[in-house]
Amino acid sequence: MDKEATLYVIDLARSMGEEHSGRSISDLEWALQYVWDKITNTVLTGRKTLQIGVVGFGTDHTSNDLQDDDGYRNISVLQPISQILMPQLQALPAMLRPSKTDDRDVLSAIIVAVDMMAKHCGTLKYKKKIVVITNATGRIDDDDVEDTASEFKGKGIELVVLGIDFDDPEFGFKEEDKSPVKMQNEKILKTLVDLSGGVYGTMQEAIDELSRPNIKPVRPTPTFKGQLKLGDPEHYDTALSIDVERYFKTSIKRPPTASAYAVRDAALPEEDMSAVHSLYKYKVKDEESGGGTRDVERDELAKGFEYGRTAVAISESEQNITKLETQAGYDILGFIPVDMVERYMILDNSSMIVAQKGNDKAAIALSSLIHGLYELGSVAVGRLVKKDMSEPIITLLSPFVETDFECLIENILTFAEDVRSYRFPPVDRVLTVSGKELTEHRNLPSEELLDSMSEFVDSMSLVRGDEEEMCIDDTFSPVLHTIEGAIKYRAVHQTDDIPEKSEMFLAYSRQPEELQEQTKGALARLIAAADVKKVPPKTKGRRKYRETEKPLSGLNVDDLFRKQNRTQISPDNAIPEFRQMLEQSSDLNLVKDAVQQLASILQDWILRSFGDANYDRVLEGLGVIREEILGFEEPALYNEVLRDLKKKLTAGELGGNRTDLWYRIRVTKLGLIANDTSPSSDVSRADADTFMSLKG
Amino acid sequence: MAPDLTFRSKGGPTEDVQTGDNEDEDEEVDESGYKTVKDAVLFAIEVNESMLKVPPVSSSKKGDRSSPLLAALKCAYHLMQQRIISTPRDKMGVLLYGTEASKFYDEDENSRGGWSFPHCYLLIDLDVPEAEDVKALKELTEADSPESADIFKPSREPVLMHNVLFCANQIFQHKAANFTSRRLFIVTDNDDPASSNKGSRSQATVRAKDLYDLGVTIELFPISTPEYPFDTSLFFDDIIYKSSPSDPEAIAYNPASMVDGTGSKLVTGSNDGISLLQSLLSNIASKVTPKRALFSSVPLELAPGFRISVKGYLLYKHQKPARSCYIYLGGERPQIVTGYTEQVAFENSKPVQKTEIRKAYTFGGQQITFSDEEVKQLRNFGDPIIRTIGFKPMSRLPLWANIKNSTFIYPSEEDYVGSTRVYGALHHKLVKDKLFALTWFVPRRNATPVMAAMIPTLPAEATDDKANVAGVSATGAPQGLHLIPLPFADDIRQNPPTTHQHPLRPPDDLVDAMRPIIQQLNLPKGIYDPSKYPNPSLQWHYRILQALALDEDIPEKPDDKTVPKYRQIDKRVGHETIEWGRRLEDAYKQYQAENPDAVRTGSKRATNDPAATSSAGTKKVKSEVGDPTSEEKIRELWQQGRIGQLNVAQLKTFCASKKISTAGKKADIVDRIEEWLESK
Repeated sequence: MDKEATLYVIDLARSMGEEHSGRSISDLEWALQYVWDKITNTVLTGRKTLQIGVVGFGTDHTSNDLQDDDGYRNISVLQPISQILMPQLQALPAMLRPSKTDDRDVLSAIIVAVDMMAKHCGTLKYKKKIVVITNATGRIDDDDVEDTASEFKGKGIELVVLGIDFDDPEFGFKEEDKSPVKMQNEKILKTLVDLSGGVYGTMQEAIDELSRPNIKPVRPTPTFKGQLKLGDPEHYDTALSIDVERYFKTSIKRPPTASAYAVRDAALPEEDMSAVHSLYKYKVKDEESGGGTRDVERDELAKGFEYGRTAVAISESEQNITKLETQAGYDILGFIPVDMVERYMILDNSSMIVAQKGNDKAAIALSSLIHGLYELGSVAVGRLVKKDMSEPIITLLSPFVETDFECLIENILTFAEDVRSYRFPPVDRVLTVSGKELTEHRNLPSEELLDSMSEFVDSMSLVRGDEEEMCIDDTFSPVLHTIEGAIKYRAVHQTDDIPEKSEMFLAYSRQPEELQEQTKGALARLIAAADVKKVPPKTKGRRKYRETEKPLSGLNVDDLFRKQNRTQISPDNAIPEFRQMLEQSSDLNLVKDAVQQLASILQDWILRSFGDANYDRVLEGLGVIREEILGFEEPALYNEVLRDLKKKLTAGELGGNRTDLWYRIRVTKLGLIANDTSPSSDVSRADADTFMSLKG
Repeated sequence: MAPDLTFRSKGGPTEDVQTGDNEDEDEEVDESGYKTVKDAVLFAIEVNESMLKVPPVSSSKKGDRSSPLLAALKCAYHLMQQRIISTPRDKMGVLLYGTEASKFYDEDENSRGGWSFPHCYLLIDLDVPEAEDVKALKELTEADSPESADIFKPSREPVLMHNVLFCANQIFQHKAANFTSRRLFIVTDNDDPASSNKGSRSQATVRAKDLYDLGVTIELFPISTPEYPFDTSLFFDDIIYKSSPSDPEAIAYNPASMVDGTGSKLVTGSNDGISLLQSLLSNIASKVTPKRALFSSVPLELAPGFRISVKGYLLYKHQKPARSCYIYLGGERPQIVTGYTEQVAFENSKPVQKTEIRKAYTFGGQQITFSDEEVKQLRNFGDPIIRTIGFKPMSRLPLWANIKNSTFIYPSEEDYVGSTRVYGALHHKLVKDKLFALTWFVPRRNATPVMAAMIPTLPAEATDDKANVAGVSATGAPQGLHLIPLPFADDIRQNPPTTHQHPLRPPDDLVDAMRPIIQQLNLPKGIYDPSKYPNPSLQWHYRILQALALDEDIPEKPDDKTVPKYRQIDKRVGHETIEWGRRLEDAYKQYQAENPDAVRTGSKRATNDPAATSSAGTKKVKSEVGDPTSEEKIRELWQQGRIGQLNVAQLKTFCASKKISTAGKKADIVDRIEEWLESK
């Protein structure tokens, strides 16, 4: 990307410290919001080629290359043009303070800036920009306006003048009781900007624009260059082929990621942190060694793959043996009507297919395909191999036609293996087991519900004629900008709290208020017709499955169990029998008895577990006890089981060191039932957490 | 593909448990928490005289002449291969019952108390399949006269079903403890196994309830003959439950079978051209993937104060080959190595404790830190929810507005009674008026919020030969609503550079020449049917692995269904493409005549743009200084912790020389190089 040099020329005169136009902060503080935003955005990119300089004018002192001439007094170069890093950034606030003088000439400051820019960039290719911020209350010697303007033009520098309380009829701002000097100065600056082809605006407009997040453009780089083919040009002279290039159309922009640093000494300041990196180590099962595993060196290992639980080693020379041999190219498989595209089947981000750059013949050829598809309402299905030996993907190619740009939009389609054929009952009818179709059922909407839903949906439209609310171009990634914003804010305001979330993003997360207002009636009717009832949390437990616990025939299995009269849980059928005992009775003593029986079976499993062999069964058993006990709202019963288990585990009574089992109990969230889960528990969340630590 | 991936091995069993902090991961989470998200399928196949009967030669050439038993085993073989690819962590086993022989772990007839489960033959233990298992099944099914194998000899006394069910119970308890999904697939043509023994029947009912309480679902694959239709009411209706405990709200048992409206009965020797094997395969295939919810307690809010409950499922997700791993060859048999990482401080390589680690962002060359509390606050955009913001016509949802796979949502009565009918009404309205709902979607706590379009499944038109009872789409997508995450303005890339301000437009006759080409090459039924396109790379990868694992010959040519049918294309549109080509030449000549300058610009850019050559030249010089990409130099930089100073091009050059993947961002590449350096 192009190198950029931007110079901020900032008015630091005494008058900039005053408050105007009803603002509660000084003009300088207000204007600096803009400057900080721009500078921190640049720093955030981390690019060396985005360079920034700062010139202050109306400063108490004078320090610039032209200072020998008295016309350039009270102008200070505060930051030469360079990449801005934290030290520079942190040094700036102290320098950007109102001075004790109002003596300055903004035009002189601009000339100093042009001179700096010229010296810095020389003949190198740069995007050059000078941004002037002033309240324009100082005297301007306007002799050199034309010469300066031609300097801007000749050197290819863009001039931006942002004036505090400048009149801007286009934006709709006019300062009342403006002093004649300021009025005159605004005119001079306007002339300068017009002559140099720059941008002239009032500060308010720039500040307002800050609320629209800044999107960092990514330079388009092709992800494929090659031929789009219909047919096989190698074997058939009827094959058609067009030179194309592929670029991303969308790609998720993720927030910056934090990296890990180690604080070696809590007493040291946080800047003194050491980078952390990961060492990769490898271990194999080894029953002879103590822990059941043994570390191995990387050198001892071969590369390979798993086939089921069989390890298939592949020698160094055959690394590519499992790779499908493919040749780069883009084939069209056929066409389908766009109406038949199942939109939800598409994976991944989208791309653009355009003709090879500078190849006019290819552009005409591709355009005929684009327009052919467009007119017929068709899309193509393609097979793309990005480069030799890379895996083929199946794509959907649809026409995209706008006045100044056209391309094929490419989406990625699923292969057979990517589809999970889960079955669900239909939502518009109810089928019984015998295959009968029901038209009226509590799960089917009534006419009234259908009508009120229709009315509600219609009243909630986000599109009115050509006006569309919340279109993609106007919605910005909340996490990305919130985190970036916080980083930038903290860089400049180190001791402040993080800023509040921007209202703009929160607005995406709720219905627009005027819509809510206008849809009230429809919503009330919908709620009435829907008759939805919230399930109270308590009944969410086990009682729910009661109805379904009969086989298809409807046979009452309970009767059979009564005959069996199981009161002893046998270890080889423990979980079912435990569940059945609880089902048969709600007598608390029996429940206690069942829990105790299962608990001692679990302890026996642990005792006899070779390594971790029985751990999964133990976890399942604990899970079942916990689940059932939650249904009974007798948390103490489970907590007792777990306390007893911990006691025995730590005492080494269950087959030596079982800390790994305790670890697994912890990570599978089988800890004590706290009172935030079951109100009748006498354990607090904090106590429950401490309990899970073996040290505690 | 594989070698492009990092070579990190998978973790031990504990890591299969979801810990819930994996941001932006689409992994299915079991919300009961303590269970391992895995599936175990045990086939129980009955062996008896009729199961072994080979059907008569059929007139159709394609007719498969497998006995029902063999068809079932072939299915098992097929599924085993498939599951190794699609769900490599899941377990599978095959139990034969009714055999003369018995086999159950290390028991033999001399065991104390004799056989625990007589006439139950555990052919393949319930486990993650290994190459030997695949081989065993392959040999059994491909033998010359497979039905005559010794182990298939039916027992003389009838098998006791309660024994079979308890045998399965034991296998599940020992080999698939704590799995979220455990299924017993019973394949039989015997609809009344307890006909002669009333006691066994009621015992079987009890054992079936045991399985139900253990969380095991029984799926029956009954085989009928034209002469003798299978009657489930005789026995099986007593042992099969409407739904599994993990799927409480299913309305109709077995909706899969209703797709074709013919019921679930499999018929042997039927003359409709579909063999038993095919119907068994498709029936089992439709049930083999356990339904796993992505989330189950995210409410769908239609308006403030009006919510219903839904569950989310991933219907579409990239199936990628398993990562390559390291294998230890020093033991008795090759063993897969478990990799783990240790965090060390950069300068002294001393291990770092978790509590000493701070997360920091790099900004202007320094670290900016936030407290954990602040990070949480920054990322917190409210509770998980699908909140309707408003509605728009489908025409406002362009195809390019896509960033990742969709999520299917289906109503549940769990939190709000009446959810299903409200969802039904919404679905109806969206289909009828071609609308989508714009939603604010936070799938998990602290997940990155997105705007998502909620769109209905595209209904398939009912055709004469097939009533679409289940309301699925042409490709079999279930009826309901899908959430498609939309890009934000930040995610949209700018258009690529062009040499023309306005796109070149083709003359009308060239577009006219293109039309017949498009019209005559419609795909079958005018749809893209993914089931017709297996992923050739994935299939080849596992095909080769299988050959290596089983010591088979390496196949020579892959079967790639995604290669276009060139001959057909030539036949169907050959004339049209030639005509189009001729018109293109004409159009281009005319364009050249009208724009004599345009051509020069094009070619000039490619060859001798002075700016381009000079900048390329300087770049080259820069990277040659002391060749910073030599291994020696890189190692030196690494030891000084300065690898990051190299530019991406240099890093990539080094990677290329060492066959290290260059995918991802600079940090990823640096990570991989460090890993590589460590490993040497």
